[in-house]
Amino acid sequence: MDQQTTQVLLIEDNPGDADLVRLRLVEGKFPVNVNCVNRLSDGLAFLRAETPSVILLDLNLPDSRGAETFRRVMEQSPNVPVVVLSGQDDEALAMKAVHQGVQDYLLKGDISSKHLERAIRYAVERQGLLRALEISQKQQLEFKNQFLSHVSHELRTPLTCIHQYVTLLLDGLAGPIAPDQSDHLKTVLKSVNQLHAMIRDLLEATRAESGKMRIERRCIALGDLVRQAVAMLKPTADEKKIGLEIGLDQRLPLVHADPDRVLEVLINLLDNAIKFTPAEGAIVVQACMVEADHGFVYLSVTDTGRGIGPEAKALIFDRLYQDANSVDNNRSGLGLGLFICREIIRLHEGRIWVSSEPGQGSTFTFTLPVYSLAKLLAPVITKEGRLRPDFVLVRVELTSLTNPPRGNWKEIWRQALEILRRCVFLDKDLVLPPTGTSGAAETFFVVASTDLQQSGVMTARIREQLERMPDLRPKCGFTIMAAPIELSPAGADESLEQQVQNVADSVSQMIVSNMERKQSSHRREN
Amino acid sequence: MPKPKILVVDDDPDLVRALRLRLRANNYEVATASDGYAAIATAQKERPALIILDLGLPVGDGFVVLERLQSSDSLAGVPVIVLSARDPQSNEERALKAGAAAFFQKPADNEELLNVIRASLGPGQAQQAPWPA
Repeated sequence: MDQQTTQVLLIEDNPGDADLVRLRLVEGKFPVNVNCVNRLSDGLAFLRAETPSVILLDLNLPDSRGAETFRRVMEQSPNVPVVVLSGQDDEALAMKAVHQGVQDYLLKGDISSKHLERAIRYAVERQGLLRALEISQKQQLEFKNQFLSHVSHELRTPLTCIHQYVTLLLDGLAGPIAPDQSDHLKTVLKSVNQLHAMIRDLLEATRAESGKMRIERRCIALGDLVRQAVAMLKPTADEKKIGLEIGLDQRLPLVHADPDRVLEVLINLLDNAIKFTPAEGAIVVQACMVEADHGFVYLSVTDTGRGIGPEAKALIFDRLYQDANSVDNNRSGLGLGLFICREIIRLHEGRIWVSSEPGQGSTFTFTLPVYSLAKLLAPVITKEGRLRPDFVLVRVELTSLTNPPRGNWKEIWRQALEILRRCVFLDKDLVLPPTGTSGAAETFFVVASTDLQQSGVMTARIREQLERMPDLRPKCGFTIMAAPIELSPAGADESLEQQVQNVADSVSQMIVSNMERKQSSHRREN
Repeated sequence: MPKPKILVVDDDPDLVRALRLRLRANNYEVATASDGYAAIATAQKERPALIILDLGLPVGDGFVVLERLQSSDSLAGVPVIVLSARDPQSNEERALKAGAAAFFQKPADNEELLNVIRASLGPGQAQQAPWPA
C-alpha cells in the first residue's frame, strides 16, 4: 500500500474500545482517517454514501448481533474488506465469518498497533485480488458466451447453403435423380438437420447461461400441447414400433406458461424417451394434479427404456452431460437438451426431475404453475363479502387476414389487448392474459361482473375502439361474443372462497372448450 | 398473367443462385443484388413484387435497406421478407417494426418460406376482409 490515506470505517458501540482502536491506528506508520459510528444502521447509512478502504466491525451492536452484523455489512458493501474486532474468542464464529467472506477476525484484547496495521493492509490486498479474480471470471464467461453466440451464427451461413442445394437436388430442381441418389441425399439432409438442431441448442444454452433466455407466458390448456407434441413424434415412435399414449386428468386447470417453450420441453423428453426405448416398448405422457401441491400441474414422460443409474441421475440435467452408454449406438447431440429443459422450467418457477431404476424405464416429470384464475377473480367478482349476481364471459377474437400472419402481428394484438384493458371497469371486470398458442388468430377473454344485456355496452365500446385502431383494419378481422357464465346455485354452507372457485372453474371450462373447438375446426381446415 | 418478380438480396452468391433456382421453379421471376446500395438501385429499376432481404450486407445493412424502402413512395408497399442468420430474439421485432412482413432465420424451411411469399403476394386480401356485422 502506498502513502495514500487509508479510510477506515469503525463500527463499534463501546466508546472505550473505539478510542483504543483509534489510538492504535493513529500510532501506526501509515496515514489513516477514521470514521466511527456506534450502530449498525449508522454504519450502513455511511456505506451507502461512501466507500472506505476497510471496515472494522464489532459484531455485537445495539441494533444487531453476531453473524447477522457482518452479513448485512457485506450485503451493503460487497467490495469493501471487513475485519471483525471481537470481544469473544469464538473459533466457530470466526470460521463462519471467514467462510462468508470476512477478511480477518481479531480479538480486541490482542491488538497492537503493528498487528492491526498489518491486518488492515493484507485485508485490503486480499479483497483487491478477489475482486480482480471475480471481474476476470465474469469477463471470461462473457467472452465465452459471445464467442459461442458468434460461432453459432457463423455456422448458419454455410449450413444454409448446404441445406439449399441438398433440397434443390432432392426436389428434382436440378434434374432427375435416381432412387439411390435420393436416399443418399436424404441422409445428408438428416445430418444437416441434426447439425441445425445442435447449433440451435448451443445458442439456447449460451443464452440460458448468460440469463438472456426469455419466456412469454400465456394462459394455456396443456391437453392441446401434449397432443401436439405426441402428434409430432408419432412417426418416429411408429418407426421403432413404440407405443405412444396420452393420459390426461379430467379438468386440468389452465397453466401460466410459454406454450412454445413447454412444447420444446415435451418434444425433447419424448425424443429422448424414443431414443432410449427399445423397439416394441411403450411411452406414456401424463398430465395431472397432485393433492399436496395444487399450485402446479405435473407433466411426465414415462418410458420402458433401459433406465438411468443413480450417478447419471444426479448429472443428467447438467450442461454437456452425455450418457456414456449411448455414444456407441447413436449420435446423441451435444448433451444440452435436458439442460435447456431445466432452464426453461426454472424460468417458469417449476421443477424437473427424473425417477428411474436401471432396467425399469424412467419417468421425467416437470411442473408448471397453475394459472390461478380464482385469486385474480376474487377482487372483481365479489363486493362487500358477497359474490356479485351476474357474470358474462366476453370473447374477442382477432384473426390475421393472412396465414401465416405478416408484419408486426404481435404488435397489433398487443395493442388490441391494451384497448381491451382500457374498455373495462378495473373494479369489476378482468381481462385475462392471451390464451392458447399464438398463431394467425388471438382470442382474448374478459370476465365481466354484469348481465348479458348490460355487457352489450361494453362490447359496443370494445368494437368502436378496435375499429378506430389504425393498424387493425387492413390486417385483420375480429369478432366479439358474450355469453353468460352459468353457475349452479350456491349451497347454503358454501364459503365465499368456494363460490369464487366455482366461477373460476366455469370460466376455465368455457375457455378450454373454446380452445378445443378452435383446435378441431383448425384440424378440419387442414 | 406475368410472373411476379422477386428481388433476392444476399451477399452470398451461392445462396442467391440456389434461391433463384428454387423461386424460378415456383414460377417467379428473379432479380438479385448483393449489397445494400445495389438493393435499392435494383428495386427502383426492376420494381419487384416482393423482396427477400439478408440483414448482414455490405454497403448499408438490411436495416438501412428497410428504412430506405419505407421512405420511398414507390417502394414502401413492396412486402419484404427478411432471411438472415442473425438471432431472431434481438432482430425479429426490430425488422418487423422497420416494415418487414416476415422474419426467417437461416436455414429456413423452403415450404414455409414459399407459403409466406404466396401469402404476401396474395391478391388484395385487405379488400376482401370478412368484417363482422
